[in-house]
Amino acid sequence: MKIEIRNNNFILHSSGAVFWKEQKILLISDVHLGKIAHFRKHGLAIPGNAIAENFNRLDEVVALQKPEKIIFLGDLFHSKINNEWNLFAYWVNKIQTEIVLVEGNHDIIEQQNYSDLNIEIHKELILDDFLLTHHPVENEWFFNFCGHVHPGIKLKDVGRQSLKLACFFHKEKQMILPAFGEFTGKYFMRPYENDKVYAIANNEVIRVF
Amino acid sequence: MNREALFTIAENWFEKQKWKPFAFQTQTWTAFLQGKNGLLNAPTGSGKTYALWMPIVLNYIKKNPDYKTKHKPGLKAIWITPLRALSVEIKQAAEKVADDLETKLTVAIRSGDTSATERARQKTKMPDLLITTPESLQLLLATKDYAKMFRDCDAIVIDEWHELLGTKRGVQMELGLSRLKTIASGIRIWGISATIGNLELAQEVLLGTNSEAYKNSILIKAHINKKINVLSIIPEKMDTYPWRGHMGLHLIDEVAKIIRKSKTTLVFTNVRSACELWFQALLEKYPEFAGEMAMHHGSISKETRLWVENAIRNEELKVVVCTSSLDLGVDFAPVETIIQIGGPKGVARFLQRAGRSGHQPGKQSNIYFLATHAMELIEASALRKAVRETIVEDRMPYLHSYDVLIQYLNTLAVSDGFFPDEIFEEIKSTFCYQNFTKENWQWILNFIVNGSQSLQVYDEFKKVEIEEDGSYKINSRRIAMHHRMQIGTIVGDAVLNVKYLKGGYIGTVEEWFASKLTPGDTFTFAGKKLEFYRIKDMQVLVRKANPKKVSKTISWMGGRMSFSAQMSELLRQELYRANTEDSTPELKALKPMFDRQKKESVIPNDSQFLIETFKTREGYHAVFYPFEGRFVHEAMASLLSYRISLLFSITFSLAYNDYGFELLSDQQVDLEAVFDNNLFSTEYLHHDLQKSLNATEMARRKFRDIAVISGLVFTGMPGKPIKTKHLQSGSQLLFEVFRDYEPDNLLLQQAYIETFEHQLEEGRLIQAMERISQQEMVWKQCEKPTPFSFPIITDRLREKLSSETLAERIAKMTASYMK
Repeated sequence: MKIEIRNNNFILHSSGAVFWKEQKILLISDVHLGKIAHFRKHGLAIPGNAIAENFNRLDEVVALQKPEKIIFLGDLFHSKINNEWNLFAYWVNKIQTEIVLVEGNHDIIEQQNYSDLNIEIHKELILDDFLLTHHPVENEWFFNFCGHVHPGIKLKDVGRQSLKLACFFHKEKQMILPAFGEFTGKYFMRPYENDKVYAIANNEVIRVF
Repeated sequence: MNREALFTIAENWFEKQKWKPFAFQTQTWTAFLQGKNGLLNAPTGSGKTYALWMPIVLNYIKKNPDYKTKHKPGLKAIWITPLRALSVEIKQAAEKVADDLETKLTVAIRSGDTSATERARQKTKMPDLLITTPESLQLLLATKDYAKMFRDCDAIVIDEWHELLGTKRGVQMELGLSRLKTIASGIRIWGISATIGNLELAQEVLLGTNSEAYKNSILIKAHINKKINVLSIIPEKMDTYPWRGHMGLHLIDEVAKIIRKSKTTLVFTNVRSACELWFQALLEKYPEFAGEMAMHHGSISKETRLWVENAIRNEELKVVVCTSSLDLGVDFAPVETIIQIGGPKGVARFLQRAGRSGHQPGKQSNIYFLATHAMELIEASALRKAVRETIVEDRMPYLHSYDVLIQYLNTLAVSDGFFPDEIFEEIKSTFCYQNFTKENWQWILNFIVNGSQSLQVYDEFKKVEIEEDGSYKINSRRIAMHHRMQIGTIVGDAVLNVKYLKGGYIGTVEEWFASKLTPGDTFTFAGKKLEFYRIKDMQVLVRKANPKKVSKTISWMGGRMSFSAQMSELLRQELYRANTEDSTPELKALKPMFDRQKKESVIPNDSQFLIETFKTREGYHAVFYPFEGRFVHEAMASLLSYRISLLFSITFSLAYNDYGFELLSDQQVDLEAVFDNNLFSTEYLHHDLQKSLNATEMARRKFRDIAVISGLVFTGMPGKPIKTKHLQSGSQLLFEVFRDYEPDNLLLQQAYIETFEHQLEEGRLIQAMERISQQEMVWKQCEKPTPFSFPIITDRLREKLSSETLAERIAKMTASYMK
């Protein structure tokens, strides 16, 4: 799905990532790496295979868009450090692309870990007309790209049918990205008149509102 | 001392109470003293406690002739009761016998309510008789050196075994018993059960299919027949009767008349919210009942419940509005009358409730049935027939519950550790795991040690560890603590305590209800009007509300019940009578509704299968009437909609009740095609059911309980503040992760097996389909909804099934959303 915001072109990917064409930047939010390993470390047997899937999906979207830079919009690593971090470090070395992290509420591990991997950390980031943050913010001038919420949408139809899907939630001056991570939930939102909603339906992104 | 001398002691005691032992009591004494195990089939209030406690005492006397002067310490018997509320009564009865016979035997209760100091005291000095619950017994197996504690135990009695059988608590009990048989070599195992359809099987499950205990066992039946009168509450004017379920409040005046006529009346409702509503309604319309009226349900605080139970016994109450929380045990002599509001769904439950009245020997039980909507009145005459012919349901025990086994193994690993070969032999002797394979056993062991089937690099999974001596043990204190907190197989919705701001505990509400409240909201709970203040530390803080304020009625999710096979058969027979002159008062009262049904459609006879179609604002309705009970309808609706969806690209929303089911769609269904393609065939039934989306949805719900029981989800202690939010996850999410990444996981497969066997009742479904295939299809194209269809099409709990692609469906939904 291609859209235009303030004369810039963006591709909404079915993985939940956004590719910014002019800047060749890939935006990804709420991966929550380390969550599964954290649970397993405490004796809760969540399938370990799901860990690999996060990296497979990262690989896929990177191979497709070939970004020059990847910006994570917070909640990249879910918890205290565990072995999933090593897998992430391996992945960072492998892809050889500049990585930036906009800090989220779950990013509690020592900053040193990121600087060791040459990952820059910012509280927020301004690029041209765009403000990148983890928590959604309202700003008079800038258009805000953010995450944190894990947006989802419920659809209804006659015959009492309904569907629940993850979505990109586009407000007048804001785009909330869906959670990229595998083992993450959804928060269902109600669109207002001027909002646009792009739902993820398997391998497609479809505008539903 | 020989048996005769021992019997004399017992008989003398009975004589002092001015009683005469029943035949079943002396039979049980004899069998017990002979060293036999067994199952005693006796109803509540028949003296079943004395049937088993007496021989336990006699056996102690026999083994210790100087019992009056010297007390031999140590645990001698365990009494398991499924409901904590029953334990006080049992303790009093047991203590009376022990004291009257000057035995110095001590009796104590251990349950979730027992204080920590009391529990610690018990650990150093066990009572002679321990009264406890299945969960607390498991907790004892989770303590260090538990084998020593049970070593000299002579007997274990499982009271109300019929309540445990057919649940995972029953499986938990089977596992606990398999361990006790090894560590307490002289133990006798006895169960007490009310009448169920499959008593022989109940005996086998209790004692273990491949066990010595089962070979050396006996089934004793107490033949006590009580007269039960079933009376319907029928209003004089039937035309005001609602077509679909309300609370039945339009008959409140009739109910009040019945209450006035008898000493104490119990009013049973099926759900807690109905209980609250009825209590309020009675109080408002009949304020004169105020001092003599109470409410009793599972979410009200324990203190209040105990107070109510005592007040009933002391004849202080005229009426108690209650739910299944008063179904069991406790003997209430003053209760003369029972009123059942809404269909009880099963014969056994109805009989149990009826038996709550007229408890004294020789008295009759009176039960009034109040139908909340017109169709339910047919159930009344069906129930009367069931009572007359004593038709009672079976309880179906679980097989291969991997989740309960995993919890049990973790329990053993928490205490002293276990050796797999020894435990495997023990569980193979049980009914539940009689056909358990070595492969599955290995899978389970891998699961608790590695959290998966193969060790992966980078994996830090930690739970059970294999020690040098080959034993399996949990060493982490934190993991052990988490496990102890989670022992149990009853998975409820997350609950929050409701407390006054100034202090004072009122009861519990489910989290989803609490989350909908905003400060200042008023709701009615435990018969009180409360104003919501805020949620703090997992507690709902409230204060007394202005009595004039409009309030919400609290609601609880709770599972919906389904007609049993027996009940469905009876109901069909009653319904078919509506076409004949052979009538009952209930069928006569229903005449206006039947006339309307005949005008719009037909009332089928036993050789017809009725299908109605009509169109409303909601779409195209097709309603089918197998009269087989909710669960079978759920399966049939799912199957049929799947098969239709193979013929055309279509999406359905499904609804069902105990009488029939509905397929609702935005397009018209060509029923001719349904008939031509023989869609009611039983061929490929299992395959088609599995394919239908509905099975996945149901398995998803089953998986939630399985995940909690097997310890995949950490829930913390019910009602206690959770400091472990970082270890919580939604079970929905979990189900998806398992489905996508570990589809062959046994726990995930168990969710499907339980769906097919316990929820969809595949066996019953096949029988029903075969019956229908013998019937003539009667298709009525109606102008508008008929009286039969009305309760179904207005049901809000729905499933969906679709053969359209996701994109197609979204395209359609978008259109309707934009309007």
